[in-house]
Amino acid sequence: MITPQDIKNLENHQRAWSRRTFLGKSAQAIGTLALGSIINPNLLGQQQPWRGVLDGPHFYPKAKRVVHLCMAGGPSHVDLFDPKPMLNRLHGQPFPESFTKGEQLAQLQGAELLARGAAVDFRRCGISGQMISNLLPHTQSIADDICVVRSMHTEQINHDPAHAFMNAGSINKGRPSMGSWLLYGLGSEAENLPGYVVLVSEGGGGAQPISARQWSAGFLPSKFQGVQFQSRGAPVHYVGNPDGVCQSTQRQIIDEVARLNNLQKEHSLDPEIETRVSQYELAFKMQTSVPELADLSEEPQSMLDLYGVKEAGDGSFAANCLLARRLLERGSRFVQLYHRGWDHHSKLDQNIQVASTLVDQASAALVKDLKQRGMLEDTLVIWGGEFGRTPMGQGTGRDHHINAFSVWMAGGGIRPGMTWGSTDDLGYRYLNDGQQVHVHDLHATMLACFGIDHKKLTYRYQGRDFRLTDVHGHVVNGIMT
Amino acid sequence: MTCLRRAELIFCLGLIVSASAEPIPEQIEFNRDVRPILSNTCFKCHGPDTEANQSKLRLDLRDLAIKPHVNKAGRTITGIVPGKPAESEVWMRLTSSDPVKIMPPPDALHQVTEQDREVIKRWIEQGAEYQPHWAYIKPKKVAPPAVEPTGFARNAIDQFIVRELEEQGITPHPEADRATLLRRVSLDLVGLPPTTDELDLFLADDRPDAYEHAVDRLLSSPHFGERMAVPWLDLVRFSDSVGFHGDQNQNIFPYRDYVIGAFNQNKPYDDFVREQLAGDLLPDATPEQIVATGFNRLNLMTREGGAQPKEYLAKSAADRVRAVSTTFMGSTVGCAECHDHKYDPFTTRDFYSLAAYFADVKQWGVYNDYKYTPNPELKGFNNSFPFPPEMDVENDYLKRRAIRLQQAQDERVERIVENILARPSERRRVIDWARDNADVLFESNGSWSVMEVVQATGDDLTVVTTQSDNFVRMENIPKADQKGNDKSGTLLVLAPASGTISAVRLEALPDLQGSGTVARDTFGSFAVSPQIELRRKGATESQKIELAGGYPDRDSWTYINAYLITSVESRWQTAPQFAREKHNVVYQLAAPIEIEAGDQLVVTLKTTNLARTRLYSSPLGVRRNWDDVVSGLSSAVATAVSSAGAILTDAQLRLLAAEYFKSTGATDATAYATALETLREIAACREGMAFTMITEAMEPLETRVLPRGNWQDESGEMVQPAPPSFIAKGLPVSAGRSSRLDLAEWIVSPENPLTARTQVNRMWNQFFGTGLSAVIDDLGLQGEYPSHPELLDWLAVEFVELDWDVKAMVRLIVSSATYRQQSTYREDLRNIDPDNRLLASHPSRRLGAEFVRDNALFAAGLLDPEIGGPSAKPYQPEGYYASLNFPKRQYQADLDERQYRRGVYTHWQRTFPHPMMANFDAPSREECTADRTVSNTPQQALTLLNDPTFVEAARALAERAMTEPSQTDFESRIEHAYRLVLARSPTQAEATGLKEFYFTQHANYSDEMEDAAKLAAVGLRPTNAVLDRVELAAWTQVARVLLNLNETLMRY
Repeated sequence: MITPQDIKNLENHQRAWSRRTFLGKSAQAIGTLALGSIINPNLLGQQQPWRGVLDGPHFYPKAKRVVHLCMAGGPSHVDLFDPKPMLNRLHGQPFPESFTKGEQLAQLQGAELLARGAAVDFRRCGISGQMISNLLPHTQSIADDICVVRSMHTEQINHDPAHAFMNAGSINKGRPSMGSWLLYGLGSEAENLPGYVVLVSEGGGGAQPISARQWSAGFLPSKFQGVQFQSRGAPVHYVGNPDGVCQSTQRQIIDEVARLNNLQKEHSLDPEIETRVSQYELAFKMQTSVPELADLSEEPQSMLDLYGVKEAGDGSFAANCLLARRLLERGSRFVQLYHRGWDHHSKLDQNIQVASTLVDQASAALVKDLKQRGMLEDTLVIWGGEFGRTPMGQGTGRDHHINAFSVWMAGGGIRPGMTWGSTDDLGYRYLNDGQQVHVHDLHATMLACFGIDHKKLTYRYQGRDFRLTDVHGHVVNGIMT
Repeated sequence: MTCLRRAELIFCLGLIVSASAEPIPEQIEFNRDVRPILSNTCFKCHGPDTEANQSKLRLDLRDLAIKPHVNKAGRTITGIVPGKPAESEVWMRLTSSDPVKIMPPPDALHQVTEQDREVIKRWIEQGAEYQPHWAYIKPKKVAPPAVEPTGFARNAIDQFIVRELEEQGITPHPEADRATLLRRVSLDLVGLPPTTDELDLFLADDRPDAYEHAVDRLLSSPHFGERMAVPWLDLVRFSDSVGFHGDQNQNIFPYRDYVIGAFNQNKPYDDFVREQLAGDLLPDATPEQIVATGFNRLNLMTREGGAQPKEYLAKSAADRVRAVSTTFMGSTVGCAECHDHKYDPFTTRDFYSLAAYFADVKQWGVYNDYKYTPNPELKGFNNSFPFPPEMDVENDYLKRRAIRLQQAQDERVERIVENILARPSERRRVIDWARDNADVLFESNGSWSVMEVVQATGDDLTVVTTQSDNFVRMENIPKADQKGNDKSGTLLVLAPASGTISAVRLEALPDLQGSGTVARDTFGSFAVSPQIELRRKGATESQKIELAGGYPDRDSWTYINAYLITSVESRWQTAPQFAREKHNVVYQLAAPIEIEAGDQLVVTLKTTNLARTRLYSSPLGVRRNWDDVVSGLSSAVATAVSSAGAILTDAQLRLLAAEYFKSTGATDATAYATALETLREIAACREGMAFTMITEAMEPLETRVLPRGNWQDESGEMVQPAPPSFIAKGLPVSAGRSSRLDLAEWIVSPENPLTARTQVNRMWNQFFGTGLSAVIDDLGLQGEYPSHPELLDWLAVEFVELDWDVKAMVRLIVSSATYRQQSTYREDLRNIDPDNRLLASHPSRRLGAEFVRDNALFAAGLLDPEIGGPSAKPYQPEGYYASLNFPKRQYQADLDERQYRRGVYTHWQRTFPHPMMANFDAPSREECTADRTVSNTPQQALTLLNDPTFVEAARALAERAMTEPSQTDFESRIEHAYRLVLARSPTQAEATGLKEFYFTQHANYSDEMEDAAKLAAVGLRPTNAVLDRVELAAWTQVARVLLNLNETLMRY
């Protein structure tokens, strides 16, 4: 197992290595004996499956797994989680220039800025009394289980880089996504299933494109990348046998491949062959376990009803939430669900209703279901978009907004039933009151829930120690249990 | 442990190792011994980035390190007092027991070991001499060292390698056996395994330099360029899509062909660099040199609504600096975007000065003309449009494809003509056709007759008038006067002349409405979608006429996802640059019709801006150019009419028969449909021309230092183009503003210490799996001190002295005895050289993603050997592009030989790379990538087991194994299959077990005949019908085993 101290030792070894080898000295140096065990294939075997680069946690870990409900497009905070009576009163009036002067705008560039009040009313919910929009009646019902963060802010005002930033903490391509960092740090407990799974739901229209880069391992080894499950067809690419090959003949193929690979190993002594053989075994197991996972028929009707699944395997957000729970149960480390219907530049009143209806019940059901199974306490749930929407109107809708947006989190070390952070009277900007939460802070906090010091989970690439939070990030202790 | 990236291997496993007690060298050498420690543990705060430095102590420069200064506490200290560790602040801090004073701070990520401290101590004692960083001083060539005359060494490389081995008392491995060697070098140089003929010839070649001959053969193969292009395309982030947001397609494949061609022609590397950076600035730049400048256009691009042009220009500039510095200098200048580099002496100013070279590259921050971000030059653009500037260039692949298609077409027509001539009744029909259509065939204008306008009606937006000569004029009804909301278009009832109609032509003419443009406005672009129906005389109903082609007489603005559409029957949009010229389009009828007197065509033109038009019909079909005149046709028709065919020459009869087929289909509807489809494909080849993005120079935009990389902050100083200040200081600087060409000259100057080292180090990485300096994308301070520094320098100087001859360097490397060693893993060196950096054996390496594909297809005999051309679309899981939008994507796998093109031609979608490629570690090419990770995952197993590409390849391989050997026994067949895939014979143990496996499969499929048929049906390629289905299925299973072997994926 690996500790940060080991990493340091390793680096020392690397330096020593270049010295030793190229000075041509001390092949018999004491250290080399120890080094020899490095590529002992038997030890390699022990690294299978990958259990993470971190030996022990830096802090007491609360979360073991995370499900990120990514509301792609950018849900409007002032319509969902951040009621602004002042904004309602100002509806239709010019938006005060003192707020917007010199600030970045997206499609509202050069337009007259008018305040736009909330589409619907809010209600005080649960014992905690959190204010949640009537667009989200089911979320209202879990108010005491969730922590609403109103002081989120980001740096990227267009979807593509904002997604990159939310997922990888950087807009530079080739950076690992947060799920990849977690797998790299902690490995996965899933047997025969990917540790990092992404599902994209259909429905609602207005779908912004998303990119596989959002679950890419970037410069980390590609085994840490997210595996996208398809809504239709084979859930994982190439997981189904070819036409005309049944599971038993496929098994025979794998056995014969293993036999020949092992014969080859006697000749080439290549330690990598052992890994290859084990990957075929794992692949074969996945061919069984993935369809079993995706098969919702063993779920009772009451469970389908809880989530609002109309038809199993219909690719809906509801079906994906249920699938997410099954993945989490089986030990996946990071499950990310995209719902792509939140980019409400126009017809906000109708469209936000549609999007809310598609995700509200299942999001709440996931929290309830995890709770009733006793999994919520070590499962971190994160719900939110890549940015928010302007309190200014854009015709009948709202534009992208980076100075304030809301997310909610639950379980896995997050304090339930609380609201964290605030925005100004018009919902334009987070208040600089010590409760502001930058995307880097969200990442730092997420890692902290897993017991990881975000400054210490690093990977050396191009000569630099990279981390999810770049050179930023503060853990938001106030929302942690 | 599934991942093999070398660095990671060490990374994960180093962990079990405790700090090794390494003897400290007697004479400390700064670059080798000290710099790595200082760089890793000190420079972050006491290095070039002064902003991060909380004290005044700097350790990266000796002058500053040894200079006494007053610290924050007011005490005068000296970082390093040469010769006196005890008086050096550094030593005191390193050894302090006070947690506040000790350095590095206890919470720092990187700590020093006892050994590190001792090294530093001894270095200070010895005078604390610094050395410039090895990579920043010009490489020097030392004579290759003399080594024991064991007969191992073949060239200078070996002398350097063997010297190190000798010092360690290690004997190199013997040369690999010939078959292994040929497979290895073939896969390395052309990315394909040897054919069985090549293998036999090589095994039989008893010349002492047989291997060198084989290498020369491979170096002169046109597939060499394809293989060499792959790592280069990763560096330059070559891709078929733009990357941001909608990730639309971009036209750039001619640049890829340029790269392949450059390696094939052995273009000197310095020219290769010049042309890509600044080909457009070279005197009398050739089209090829301008195509090369596509390099500067491979940054990500966006046309997302609401994106800010300045922000994206800043992103592109940074993207370019990263790509240019990594690609040409092996440097990470990108780190200096927000702050001075923490390890290397790159300043933020260097970053922006480097970016400034590219400030003249014509581009747009947002490739659309949104009202909130107006780009008047892109007026009329939408998500389907390309990303200018582009150039229309000749492309050899498309030329060859057009010729091939035309030949196939000609042969098809020829066969039909023979059939016709063989049958008197058919010949009679030819003569009848000529007579019936004689009038129009005599027309010298390409045999068109104007269709008389019987009736012309507009919709609720359009008023239509018929003018003399059957012109139809359409005008917009002012909004206020519009009565309804019918937008169905203009309805024309036409009376064509009787006879055959196989093509309809629409002519659009300039009109006064648009002040002389073909549209109703001055912009001058119109779009039209036609619908044609036939109404027989006296009938009330009409029947729809399907169109199977629509060929305009000039390039249009009809695009689907950036690709120009050459057959526009469903929608034709004209380009505004031809606004004042007459336009024509020839619509080809899917099934020709015979018109009797009184029959009418009902034509609906869906358009809102076509101004004036006239329609024609013609009996001449399978044609694209409306004004083509078939030579000799008139006289043949005349003869046919006058003599009822009696005195036609054979040539005339053939000509008429051919035109008769093209006009009517000659009762062979299938052949006619194929002919029309072929015509469409020929048109798509655009006479061998292709658009490609290029660099067009413009007045440079101003470049400022962006404080903390913030594009909205305009307070930073203005910078002019300049190379990083500390490298190659002596290089001349041109007067006035430096250009991209100046940058290129600076890069390829022999004085530049980085360029040649970077490239030869990458080549070494390509052939040995690890660079001589292992971090091939960072030769800077945080990179690795080379395993063989003198060899790296020797190669770098040699490269320059050989005038940057890439093939010569490749030949040198693969001819070395070092490369030619056996790859058998050295148990004896497990402790001494765990990473095989001493190269006492050949390091076996897995094939890259593209070559995993190529290898299987080639062994199967499926691979299309064509070079260059548009990217191809292999099978891909359904729905994989479902998350793309603007526009929505429908992936259509290629259905002809293009399905089997090499991996290097696979359509590269940055946001969703092909899953097979991604599973085998191909990068997304969004960012410059010098090295791929090499993983070993279950996804790879699933791909090789179940991807239809590999299943089809297995079946094709099975067919080869069954049909090619002269004997049909199992042993002959498995022998052949092994030779095809692995260039060797199976061992007894392998063959015996496989035979058993084969019979098991045979038994399985005998019971499941349906499964056998299903397995044979995977893929496009028709199955060899004579083969027994069960036998084929069993052999397909055997072939699947072979294609899944570890050895198949490896170069041993």
